[in-house]
Formats: sequence, structure tokens, C-alpha cells
Amino acid sequence: MATVVIMPKQGQSVESCIITQFNKKKGDSVKQGELLFAYETDKASFEEVSPADGIVLDIFFGDGDEVPVLTNVLVIGQAGESIEEFRPGGAAAPAKSEEPRAKSQEPEVQAPVSASTTSTPTAVTTTTTSGAISPRAKNLAEKEAIATADLQGSGPKGRIIERDVQSAIESRPKLTPLAKAEAKATGATATEGTGLGGSVTSKDLSAAKNPVYGADFEVKPVTNMRKIIAKAMHASLQNSAQLTHHLGADARRILELREKVKKAMEKGYPTNITLNDMVGFAVIKALKKFPQVNTHFLGDSIKYFNKIHLALAVDTDRGLMVPVVKNADDLSIQGLSNQFKEIANACKKGSIDPDLLSSEAATFTISNLGNYGVEIFTPVINLPQAAILGVNTIVPRPKDLGNGAYGFVPFIGLSLTYDHRALDGGEATRFLKQIAIEIENLEFEI
Amino acid sequence: MPKSLFVDPAPLFEAGEITFKPIPVNQYNKTIQDELKSKNFSTEDLLHIYHDMAMIREFETMLNLVKTTGAYSGISYNNPGPAHLSAGQEAAAVGMAYTLTIEDFIFGSHRSHGEILAKGLRSIQQLDDAALTKIMEDFFGGTAYGIVKKNFNGSAKDLAKRFLLYGIMAEIFARETGFNKGLGGSMHAFFLPFGIYPNNAIVGGSGDIAVGAALYKKVNRKQGIVVANIGDASMACGPVWEGLMFAAMDQFKQLWGDDMKGGLPVVINIMNNQYGMGGQTRGETMGYDFAARIGAGVNPEQMHAERVDGYNPLAVIDAYRRKREILDNEKGGPVLLDVVTYRYSGHSPSDASSYRSKEEMELWEQFDCIATFGKKLIDAKVASQTDLDKIQADIKESMVDVFKLAIDEEISPRMDLHKNPELLGEMMFSNQTVDAFSDATPEVNHPLSENPRAKQIAGKVRYIKDKEGNPVSKMKQYQLRDGLFEAIAHRFYTDPTLVAYGEENRDWGGAFAVYRGLTEALPYHRLFNSPISEASIVGTAIGYAMCGGRVIPEIMYCDFLGRCGDEVFNQLPKWQAMSGNILKMPVVVRVSVGSKYGAQHSQDWTSLVAHIPGLKVCFPVTPYDAKGLMNTALHGTDPVIFFESQRIYEIGEQFHSEGVPEGYYEIPFGEPDIKREGKDITILTIGATLYRALDAAKILEEKYGMSAEVIDTRSLSPFNYEKVIESVKKTGKIVLSSDATQRGSFLNDMAQNISELAFDYLDAPPVVVGSRNWITPAYELEYAFFPQPETIIDAIHEKIVPLPGHVPFANFTEAEQIRRAKLGI
Repeated sequence: MATVVIMPKQGQSVESCIITQFNKKKGDSVKQGELLFAYETDKASFEEVSPADGIVLDIFFGDGDEVPVLTNVLVIGQAGESIEEFRPGGAAAPAKSEEPRAKSQEPEVQAPVSASTTSTPTAVTTTTTSGAISPRAKNLAEKEAIATADLQGSGPKGRIIERDVQSAIESRPKLTPLAKAEAKATGATATEGTGLGGSVTSKDLSAAKNPVYGADFEVKPVTNMRKIIAKAMHASLQNSAQLTHHLGADARRILELREKVKKAMEKGYPTNITLNDMVGFAVIKALKKFPQVNTHFLGDSIKYFNKIHLALAVDTDRGLMVPVVKNADDLSIQGLSNQFKEIANACKKGSIDPDLLSSEAATFTISNLGNYGVEIFTPVINLPQAAILGVNTIVPRPKDLGNGAYGFVPFIGLSLTYDHRALDGGEATRFLKQIAIEIENLEFEI
Repeated sequence: MPKSLFVDPAPLFEAGEITFKPIPVNQYNKTIQDELKSKNFSTEDLLHIYHDMAMIREFETMLNLVKTTGAYSGISYNNPGPAHLSAGQEAAAVGMAYTLTIEDFIFGSHRSHGEILAKGLRSIQQLDDAALTKIMEDFFGGTAYGIVKKNFNGSAKDLAKRFLLYGIMAEIFARETGFNKGLGGSMHAFFLPFGIYPNNAIVGGSGDIAVGAALYKKVNRKQGIVVANIGDASMACGPVWEGLMFAAMDQFKQLWGDDMKGGLPVVINIMNNQYGMGGQTRGETMGYDFAARIGAGVNPEQMHAERVDGYNPLAVIDAYRRKREILDNEKGGPVLLDVVTYRYSGHSPSDASSYRSKEEMELWEQFDCIATFGKKLIDAKVASQTDLDKIQADIKESMVDVFKLAIDEEISPRMDLHKNPELLGEMMFSNQTVDAFSDATPEVNHPLSENPRAKQIAGKVRYIKDKEGNPVSKMKQYQLRDGLFEAIAHRFYTDPTLVAYGEENRDWGGAFAVYRGLTEALPYHRLFNSPISEASIVGTAIGYAMCGGRVIPEIMYCDFLGRCGDEVFNQLPKWQAMSGNILKMPVVVRVSVGSKYGAQHSQDWTSLVAHIPGLKVCFPVTPYDAKGLMNTALHGTDPVIFFESQRIYEIGEQFHSEGVPEGYYEIPFGEPDIKREGKDITILTIGATLYRALDAAKILEEKYGMSAEVIDTRSLSPFNYEKVIESVKKTGKIVLSSDATQRGSFLNDMAQNISELAFDYLDAPPVVVGSRNWITPAYELEYAFFPQPETIIDAIHEKIVPLPGHVPFANFTEAEQIRRAKLGI
């Protein structure tokens, strides 16, 4: 009995995922637990492993295809087993189309008319080729990077019509998205593909490149993740009134606590409470005193939250991710520390629940660049949140130690970016100051 | 054709002769002293008559001077619009209006300034100050009232006179402050609060419309009579004659029941000014010698016709007093008056009167009605010359004052179509819904549930298959005609003003059995047979609707639309906008498209009416759509040309599997409906061609593997292209088909719009498949004339996408297209 592998459903709001890469191709043998393909949502990326030993009998989609969740992706079984019953929609040609599948959730049956005319496109042509092309055919040809000059039109008077372009698309090797983009830009063509399933990659394109140096640039498609980040960051700066206040807090208290933690750990204390955890804990305390900051600004209204959902910006190989710790105000500092570590790791592994990445899920965000030695920066708000705290590195600063004596004291830099639509400068400053006070007077039991 | 009227052969063959009563000619011979002695008039009344005639003369003189010299009273003004003047006809106008009240309605012609002023001035004399002020304040928010009131210190009645002069003058000068926002102009001005209904720029246009107004008064038991002021030359117009025939139908006196028994309260008032354009009606273009003679040919009462001296206002008033008795007490209408008069000016200012001699005109001026009447007043010591001069001077003063206001660009601006380009567009339709135009209880003979037709329909299956999925027999099938019946019956039981008439509408139940059962449900005055005269059917419906009633005139065959061309093209679509949106036009004209009956009974003329701005046009072809669109049509306030097809009155509902709802529902005008979904080609149809397109879609699917999306337009105008464009974006291909002949078909207009709206998505030009530009041949040859499933496929093969192995029957090649166009076939 063949085993079908479906596109898993990741998170409540996810309707479809994009297959980033297949690691197996049709006919490959596979062991249980072996990587089959990688895929991503707009917020996170995942990997699917084989549920069984066997041979990949068929793959219904190609790299870059958008696949509705719960749709059959591939079938694993023994040679000779029928796979027809698993084919999405009944009989879709495998990896036939470059079109995002989301447009037609059930891949349509290929129209017999194009099937019959693919074989004999000129049989019904009434007159010789005129070079004319219908607007629709022209649009499709441009989109799919088909050179129409070589096409034989099958429409009235040899007009190139849509089906002629479609059969040209079907008869050429599949292009990777990158190859297609390049072909469109350069007019390059390829007759053979060396990529997965014989697809044409950008390397296969035989454009009239500079013979000596080749192209001095490379066009790479933007990842889904990058697109999302780009959109969110741009929207944030466009749609709100952001400005940043900077303030330093005396870090002696938290450095002292950090030392205590280290020592305690040597004696078996289970939690490595970091400076970042402490700042997060201080922020939670400050937010409790400034409920107007723990809000979403919605234009006509402001949403005040009874609970604090604290998000943490995490740098990963795939790009910036901002997972949230829900109900952070219920946690002890150990709890907070553990949760921070858990979500950061999940992000780095790509196994984070997408629902935890939504900016709506958090009420406030911390972005800590202190590790990297950043001394001052202006973090960008995750709308609709009203503010974000940037945490900087600790630098020694001269301080009046009393009695006319000055000494260098470690200060941790705090950069609060707030939405001036939601908060005024006074209350933002008081809130920032409160964070500093909480940091300077932080207490917890070890 | 009621069975109660027994056609006995014997009397029809008896020998005998038709006798006529003498028709009185100018019998009035009283003097002013006689009238004063009989207390028929007070001296004040007589002076009013003089004043009103003099004011009309001054008004027409003003317009004549503006047209011919570019100035009035030393003030320059250019009026490029028309001015058909009635100087000379004042006694006829004032005499006509004198006995009338605001309950009495007048309709006019292109030459009716005098009649409007006469009726308006008479209304001002009759109404008290409070009523007058209220009318002026309420009219268009008191705009015109505000303009004339400013800096004027006279009495309410003097103010009202200026209001009247201003309203008409501003209207003639196309000012937004005019009585009809400047959209009616000289030939269409009117003012309902004084009972002044539209004048009409089409000669004889009021001849049937006024009869419809009288029908409204009768059916809805309204006070007052209706006067149609039409010219002597209009008596040759078909629609006028049709109006006379309609007004004189025997059934009013013989078949209509109880208080409805009796003739229509209408006076056909011929303003006999001797000329029709340059043609002389007596001796040249007509043969009646006396226009009054026409009455003798219409009915046994000879329309109580007589010729009246229209140069003596008292003679005209005398005639109206006597005719009023006949109309009110004897219910003896219609009445015909031949009022002899004369116009001094030409047909229009551009007419130099080359067809008449100077001597003739001078002779008439010696008899001038105003001068003669003034002299009689002086002789009878009713007034001195000084009194009359004072009247003239006052008139001149108010005319100049009002003239200054009416030509002032700031006080009396025109509609600004630069600033508000869609202002006029917004006036083309009233787009309202009205459940009932009266609070009265609808008169019906029994509850609808007891109606035999309703009971029969209750036993029918409202989808083509029964609950078990078996096809329904024809007898048990709920048909398209049942859908129409349900919608129409619903409105008859909701709106007491609704009437329906046409050929064979009663007893027979309509030639296509849509009305079967309504004869039992409705009294005669709500559903009746009309003469076979389409101009009167539609023309009277227009008059009925203008007065505030809802009406369904029926044109049995689409081919008969030509018989009511003016009514459908010039009257029905125009009056809402031409009135400045004062009038509504809730008229649903039922038009049935035939087949099998050859060249003059099988034409789809939807394109003709869709071309005319101001009409809503629909053509439903399923029971569900027919009921829903008829409900919408009968709920609205706009004129609808409602096409039906004789091919499919008995067709069942095959698209709404839940069946045609028993309850009330509406389908909005303009929304096409996808009857079959597909992805390779779109077929858009008008009318019953839908079913052949569905057959074509089946063949395309089975034989060529093409999936066709079939869209039924349902409405032609208004029309929402969005759904069609959406489909074309998907398929890239579209063929349009209807039974209208190809050249000038409305489908070409649709194809043009689709080309513009979806050009970049098209894989081929939109292709229209209409009928051939021939006469409709006999039924057995129709396959070569009307679009067939095969011809639709032929067109696709030749013009859109060649189909493998297809052998065409019809020739859609380019060479043939050019050859046919060259030959005009």
C-alpha cells in the first residue's frame, strides 16, 4: 500500500505553503525519516521527512509551487503501485504549471482541445502564418518568457492565439523561477535543463552574455520571508509616526545579579538568566505601571491589553523573526528566561508555530543588539504595537558617585521607539525612565 | 370579445341608413350686455379675460422681438431655441381655460405658450392667496418664487402672475430656474400645480396622451376633465385618430360596471388656426372642410362636436359651459371642439409666411380678437380706453421686469454641465420603487387564492424535474407565462392604480395566455381590450402614468412597435428628464417577440429600443428571471420595455433547481446571469437564443472538448459589463448571439464595449452572430435565418479558434462579410 505525503497544515491561519525545494525526485528510494522536501509559509520554513521506506512513485508539484495545505504532494510506495487515486484533482500533469496553484485549488483537467492541438496545431490553420498575435497570447508569452517569433499561429489566418503559447510553454523544459525572471529580462532561451526534473536553471540559459566576463551581476529571487519582512518594515515606517528616545540605565545591579546567577549555576541552579532576560523582566514590570504602552493603536481606537505578550526579535539565518511569549506577566524570571530560549531556538530551527510570529499576537517587543556592541539604534515598531524597546551594549560612563567623586559606571543603553500617534513624548519618556528604574532596582530570588 | 355581447347576424343585414345630426357652426350670438344681464360674467370677469389675452399677446410679442430683432424693450438678448408663437389665438386660449379649475388638466402642442398662460392666469384668479403662496413656496424649493419675490411689493396674485411669467420664460430660455429646469423648453413647458400638463413638440403628440390622462381620472375616480389642445393639421396624424378611437370605445358605456359606466372626460380641442406649417388644412392638406365634421365619423354622439368662434372668448366659454354638462352629468365624452382662430406669425420666426398673402393677414388683424373684445368692453361701458391702456401698461411693466430676471445669468443660471457633468444623466431615470400609487384598496373580484389560474399554478411543479428527479409533464410544468402572471397579479393586488390593456387582454387572456385568470380577478376598468392601435395603447399609457398611475400596455408582437414609434421613441423615454424629474413614468410595455409567423411577425427589435436613451429594456427567458424582472419592472417608476419570446412561454425552469419561488422576489435590472459555467469561451446571448447557445455549448464540450460559459444578458439597458468582462478575462474569447438581424444589432454595441474593456485579455475579436439581414422566412426555412447552435460554432471556428475537423455550414469568411456588406444583405 502506497503512502501519500500531504502538505501539512502549519498554524491556524495558513492556507497554503510554498515548496522551496524537493530533496528527492521521482524514482528515488527513500528511508523513513529522510528529508523529502523543504517548504515555507510567509512566516517560517519547515522540512518534511519521509513517513515510510520506499520509492518516490510520483511528485505532483515542483520547486516554487504554492500548494494548498492538506493537498497530496507525493507518493511513496513500491514499484508498480498505482498512484492515480492520489493525484490532486484526479489527473494533473506533474509539476506542469508555473502558475501559483492557489488560483485554482483543484488543478484543472487539461482541456482536450489543447491536447489535440498540441499534436496538430497546424492541421486546422486556414492560411499561412501572418505574424499576428492576440493581445491575450502576447500577454501570456511575455509573462512566461516565450519568444513568439518562432511560434506557428493556429488561430484564424495564422494568428498566434493563447493555445499556441500554452503549447510552447508545455513543450519546453520547465524553467525555475529564477531562470524565468532572467529569461524575461534578457530574452535568453534554453533547450535543455540540468536542474531538478530536467528543469532549466539560470545557468542553462544561453543568452548573448558578455563572452569575456559574463554577467557582472546575478539576479536572485527574494525569499518569501524577505518579502514579508520588507513589506512589514516598509509599512511600519509609512503608516505610523515613529521616533526614538535614548536613555541609559545604571547596569551595576543587573551585572551583580548576573554574577550571582553564574555562581548559582555552578551549584546546580537550573536557569541561565541572562541580562536580556533581566531587561525583559524589568520591561514587564514597567509595562504594568504604564498600561497605555501595552496597547495596539488601531487608528480610530486603542486596544488596551490586560495581559502582557512580550515579543523578542530574533536574528536567524533566514532573516529577522519576532516570536512572542504569551502572558509574560504571569511568569517568574526563570519562566521568562526559559520561554525566551525556547522560542528563539524554535525560530532558528524553523519549527516555530506561525501563530506566534504575528505582530498582532504581541503587545510589546524587545530587540536586543547589545551582544553585537551596538551603542545606539532606532528599532522599527511592529505595528499595531505602540512601541518597541531597543537594548544596547553596556558601556562605562562617568557618574557622580557623591561627595564630588566621579567614577566610571557601566550603563546599559535603552532606545525606545514609540508611535507618536499612540503616545506623547512625556509619557514615552516616563515609561522609558521607569524601565531604567526597574533595571537599576531589579530583584529576584536565586 | 366578451360573450355577453351577442353578435346577431340578422340585424346586421337589415336595410336602412345612417343619419347624422346637424353639427353646430358658430351658433353663439350673445352680446356682452346679454351675458352681463344673464349674470354669466361680472365686469371684473370680463376685465380678467381682456387682461389674460393681452398678457399672452405681450408675451408672444416679446419672444417674437427677441427672435427677430435680438432685443425686447431695448434690452438685448439672444434666444437660439425654438419659438412657435400663437399671437392671434389668445381668445381661443383664454376661452378654453376660463371654465377650467386646477382639477382640470390641459395638454398642448408646440404652440402652447398662450394656453399655459391662460390656464395659469385663470388658476391664479381662482386660488386664494394662501394656496397660491404655498404652491410657489413648494415648487422646486421656492427657487423661482424667491427670485420674483425679491424687490417686489405687490399683492400675492400679482406676485403669482410674475411667478408664472418667470417660470415659463426662464424655461424657454433654458434656465435651471424654469418650470422644468430648462430641460423642456418652449415646446414642452408645463406646470402641474395649475393643472397644466406637458405640451408636446410632436404634432398631435397630445392626441393620445391626453386620452390616457382622462382614463386615469375615470379609473381612479378623480375630479375634473382633460383638454387636448391640438392643431387642425394634427387631425391627420395616426396617433390622434387612434386616441379618438380609444376615447370613443363602446365598452366605456356598455361593458364597464356601476360608477365606471360612461365616456371618458376628455375634450379634443382643435385650435384651428388654418395652417399646418405652410399647408392650408382647408382646401389643401385636409378634406374635412370643417374640422368639426370629424366628430360625426367617430361615434353616434358625433363627439358632441361643434365649430366655435375662437375669436370671441365668450363664445368659447359658452361652448365649454355646455360641454362640461355633457362630460360631468351625462358622462358623454369624448367631446370635439373646432375652435376657429388664426396665427399672425409664421410657423416659427424663420417662416416668412410665403404661402399666404399680405392682404389675408391684414384682414385678420382687422378682426383681432383682443382689439375687438376691448372695443366691445368700451361699447358696453365695462371699461374705458384709459382702463384698458392701464391694463396694457401694467402688463408691459411686469413683462419687462420678469424679462430682466429671466435673462440674468446670475439670477437665472443654466444647468452647469461643466461643473456637474452628470446632472442630466442623473435625471434620465427616477430609479425609485413605489408599492402603490394610491392608498385606495385595489379593486378585485376575489382573493387571489380563489382565482382559478392561481389555483391551477398552485398544482404545478416549479422546476423541470419533480422531487424524485423525473422530468415534469408539460401540463404540470410551471411555465414562463406563469411567472409573468404571478408578478402581474401580485402588483394588481397591491397597487390600485395598476391597469393593463392591449389587444385581446381580457377574456382571451392575452394572445399568449399570460393574463388567463385575470379576467375573473379584475373588473373591466382594470383590464380591458383596446382597439388594435398600438399608438393609442402606448400613448394613453403615457398619459395615465403622467397623472400618477401605473400601467401595463401590451404590444402583442414586437413587429407592431413601429405602429407606436413616436410613443416609444419620443414620448415614453423623454418625459422624466424633460420635466426636470417632476414626472414619473411607471409604464411597463409588454412586447412579445414572435417566430414561425414570417417577415412581419418574427422580428427581435430589442436593438431599436435599447438605442433610445431613457428606456429600461429587458428580455428574460426563464420563468425565474421573467417573474423576478417583472416584479422589479412593476415596482419601479421608470418606463420599461419588457420583451418576451413566443418561442418559450411554456418553458420550465431549468436553472434554479430549488424552483421558481412562490413568494415575491426581484431581480435587479442590468445584471446578466451565468446560465452555464465554462472556461474556454464565453457565449453571451439576448433572448431565447440562450437555449440554442446552450445546445452549442453542449456540442463544443462533447465534440471539441471546449467548455463554454453561457451568459444570459437578461437586460439590455441598463447593463453591468463586469460579470461579462470577468468571464472574458478567464476565457479570452467571446461570441455574442441573438435573434436580431445582424446589422445594427445591439450586440454590436456590446461587442464594442467588450473590446474596449477587455482588449488585452482577448484571444480574438468578439464575434456577433445575429440573424441574416433578410426578411424572416417561413418557419421551415428559419434554420438559415436565425442563429443556430451550428452557426454559433461555425463563427467560432472561422473567427476565433479553428476547430479540428469542423465542417462549417454558415459562411463567416472575411470575403463573405465584405460581399454581404457591399450588397446590403
